[in-house]
Amino acid sequence: MTGAQSPAAPASTGERLYRWLDARFGLGRLVEFARHKEVPVGGHSMVWYYLGGATLFFFTVQLASGVLLLMYYQAGEQTSYESIRYITTKVPFGWLVRSIHCWSAHLMIVALVVHMFSTMMLKAYRRPRELTWLTGFVLFAIALGFGFSGYLLPWNELAFFATAVGTDSVKSVPVIGQWLLEVMRGGPDVTINTLYRFFALHVVILPLVMVAVVSTHLLFIQVQGMAKPMAHQAPSRPGLRFFPDFLLRDLLLWLVCLIVLSVLVYLLPYGPGIPGMEWELGKKANPLAPAYPGIKPEWYFLWVYQLLKEFPAHLFGMEGPQAALLVVTVLMGIWALVPWLDRRAAKGLPSPMFTDLAIAAIIFMAYLTLKAWDIGGKSADPSKLPDARATAWTCAWIVLGVSSAIAVLRILAYRQRWMFFSGAALLQVVLNGVFGVDYLIAGAVALVVVIAGVVLTSRKSPAARLEAPR
Amino acid sequence: MKGLFPLLLLLGSAAPNPSGDDGKLPASVEKLFEEKGGDGKPILGDGDRAYLKKLPLHTRELIAKDVDAVTLGGARHLKALLSLELSSQAAAIVFSDNCILCHADPESQKPIHLFSADPKATNSSPLLNLKSFVSDVHFRRGLSCAGCHGGSPDKDVMTPDIAARWPKADVRHVDRTWIPEFCARCHADPGFMRGFNPSLPTDQLSKYRQSQHGILLLNEKDSKAAQCVSCHGVHGIRGPKSRQSTVHPQAIPETCGHCHADPKYMAGYRKDDGTPLPTDQLEGFKKSVHGKALLERGDLGAPACNDCHGNHAAMPPAVSSISQVCRTCHSQNGTFFDGSKHKQAFEAHHWPECEKCHGKHQIAKPTDALISDASDGLCGSCHAENARDNRECNETARYFRSTLTDLVTTSQRLRPETEELATRGLDAEPIVASLDELKDAIVQTRSRVHTFDRGGFDQGAKAGREAAAKTEALLEAARSEQRYRRNGLLVSIGLMSFLAVVMGLRIRELSRRRGQGNGDRHDP
Repeated sequence: MTGAQSPAAPASTGERLYRWLDARFGLGRLVEFARHKEVPVGGHSMVWYYLGGATLFFFTVQLASGVLLLMYYQAGEQTSYESIRYITTKVPFGWLVRSIHCWSAHLMIVALVVHMFSTMMLKAYRRPRELTWLTGFVLFAIALGFGFSGYLLPWNELAFFATAVGTDSVKSVPVIGQWLLEVMRGGPDVTINTLYRFFALHVVILPLVMVAVVSTHLLFIQVQGMAKPMAHQAPSRPGLRFFPDFLLRDLLLWLVCLIVLSVLVYLLPYGPGIPGMEWELGKKANPLAPAYPGIKPEWYFLWVYQLLKEFPAHLFGMEGPQAALLVVTVLMGIWALVPWLDRRAAKGLPSPMFTDLAIAAIIFMAYLTLKAWDIGGKSADPSKLPDARATAWTCAWIVLGVSSAIAVLRILAYRQRWMFFSGAALLQVVLNGVFGVDYLIAGAVALVVVIAGVVLTSRKSPAARLEAPR
Repeated sequence: MKGLFPLLLLLGSAAPNPSGDDGKLPASVEKLFEEKGGDGKPILGDGDRAYLKKLPLHTRELIAKDVDAVTLGGARHLKALLSLELSSQAAAIVFSDNCILCHADPESQKPIHLFSADPKATNSSPLLNLKSFVSDVHFRRGLSCAGCHGGSPDKDVMTPDIAARWPKADVRHVDRTWIPEFCARCHADPGFMRGFNPSLPTDQLSKYRQSQHGILLLNEKDSKAAQCVSCHGVHGIRGPKSRQSTVHPQAIPETCGHCHADPKYMAGYRKDDGTPLPTDQLEGFKKSVHGKALLERGDLGAPACNDCHGNHAAMPPAVSSISQVCRTCHSQNGTFFDGSKHKQAFEAHHWPECEKCHGKHQIAKPTDALISDASDGLCGSCHAENARDNRECNETARYFRSTLTDLVTTSQRLRPETEELATRGLDAEPIVASLDELKDAIVQTRSRVHTFDRGGFDQGAKAGREAAAKTEALLEAARSEQRYRRNGLLVSIGLMSFLAVVMGLRIRELSRRRGQGNGDRHDP
């Protein structure tokens, strides 16, 4: 195939096919590209380079299992729930396909989130890969859209009321909130029209957009290559050949993912039973029934759900949910614009501030997510509401313990010193969880610390000196 | 005609405020807001003003008229009425009724005559609880003080016709025989009652006359015997569907027990056989299967005292009628018993059918352990006394017990396994349906114990055995599917692991060949 064989030897079928295609499509250039394509080595573990591939693998599983489900699923008031029941009880391996689809969806989000945070920490978004980061961010948003739209499709009680609560938050968008809500729902309430919309979104619109954006994301990576470790962190070393060395490793990881997926699907066909990560069909949706108790969104929306709960009914002339969603929008905007905000990384200089920003984001979301799970506050009597104070106390100590361990590791192993963001996030957790200070007041105190930290750092010593080169 | 006036007001007040009504308070009412209490602060506050402004125009005008006529004595008086938080409809009745207005004025009435929202605080009679009164079923249908006491609600002075239709005060408190007839003036008049509640029966008095209470009160002039107000109360009477009613199903045991569980009150009352009337019925009922269902689980289908003894015609059921009372609900058991050998034996002994085995007020939840030929079993204890050494009966009892035990044990064994398989993603719905069939069959089989015959009993047991066998078969199929899934997973994992090992070896070989060991150290 590569022309290394003796001219006297007869050409194999594969070689003849390659020559045929090469004559028509110029495959030689592609092969040449692949032969020289390398994955950077050194500076940090290579494991971070595989996470994008793992996300892509789970997305492929989603597409395949989704198509299989589509063969039996029928959207409709009298058919959605029934067809899902039929799939899981009568269709051969239907239970397997549905469970794979659900598990894979969650694992895809897990892989995606870890991929995104690793990219953030390694500064792989830095110039010239700003648009790769941005497309990745869009992919993250689309993946969340997949989760939200797919949730309603079984048309069961949990899905119905969770969608009603979830879509209701759209009302908080200024001026167009009500209009947007009705566009999403296909009317003022969640009805079968909402299901039709979500179905179209889930199986046609989002997959098309996703494939387009994934292709763009991959194209950027192929054109620019994978981000090299920061110059200050890694001496220049020869890279790892992509074909077949890296690809084989990638495939091996995919295989491991498939094994993990199979075991999970068999052992926990309806999910691990954690709120926001369970898909037992339950009862059919009944719009006239009283609201399903303890409605919670899927786990990756839990931090937003909890943030909405932390806000009072009114704040600075705005409605509470409106203010909360404004905060979420600002935070997401900052996250999306990180490549442009982090000017030091763009110059190849260390930017400990943004490493710490990622840690702070994890602390911020972890605390809210744990609180949303009511960890430590659940009563033995299921009819009683969880004790919010006890929940905050327990969650704060969990976050404090884990964060402290990570901080020690950062100081000792990575010699990182700039921790104003994560320190402030932790301060908010401690004030709210341990001392019972209102979440927003604790947040305001934390914000003051952050501002002080940033100002002090910019005046006294360059951040570059605070993070030792590796 | 006068009685209809409040009703008209009530209907009228349901209409929305006329357009252009700015909710302004009449000047005389506005003036009340200037009155100050002992602490120097205004008696009426902003909340009171807001409430008054929301009232329909004609109700505000009524209040102004009351102020002008001094039937509404002042701010304190108005405050007492506003504390009732009346609906606009009820407010219209209150402010058009001079009886209520005068008797609710703390400054002009002695405590004994004061209608108070808080009788404890004002030391007035508990019977004059204004809050209860405005919730009274009669009041809410437009019937107020004058309906029973006489007089006219629009007069502002007491007239001789008030209480003229009642016996004199010194008589009516001692001799209560007048009460049933008095209530029956309306409640036994179908034509009159049709105007208020057409579905309400009007035979209460005729039933009462035949009841034990009625006989005691009306024939034997025993004023301790219960009459209308003993159970329904006065001034706060509510319909039986209201949870706050004294005759709501869940309140009835306590209402009856108020007299029947009081040994002092019941002293001297005897049963037909001359023995003293017991007073442990309420205590027994609370412990019974019926009492627990009604009072603890809130199952309103469970019987209270009146469901067996009757309401207005309350009588102790006779031996001959006890089984009929139980059959009202447990009809199937009664039918089976009728065709059984025990029927004749019970009749011969003059035994009350159901009560003989299950008891009366303290009926415990029957268990299969009752069916036993041992001396501590229900069958054994009775047969030892009345049909000793009857081999066939003993064998039948043992057969009943062992069959039921088998069915119950099977059900208890299969259900947890079914739930476990359901959590593993298997289709448990048909198995659950089959288990429910088994449960129903067990209930039927237990009911058929009352045939006291193997043939009759087996009709139920056969269905149970069939359901048990069907459940076992479905479970076995589910187990087989579970094994199939597990084996499939193991084979898949085996194949994938083999492929992973092959790939791992290939990667290792490539690494060795390229001498990139250093760069691959961190690879997964």
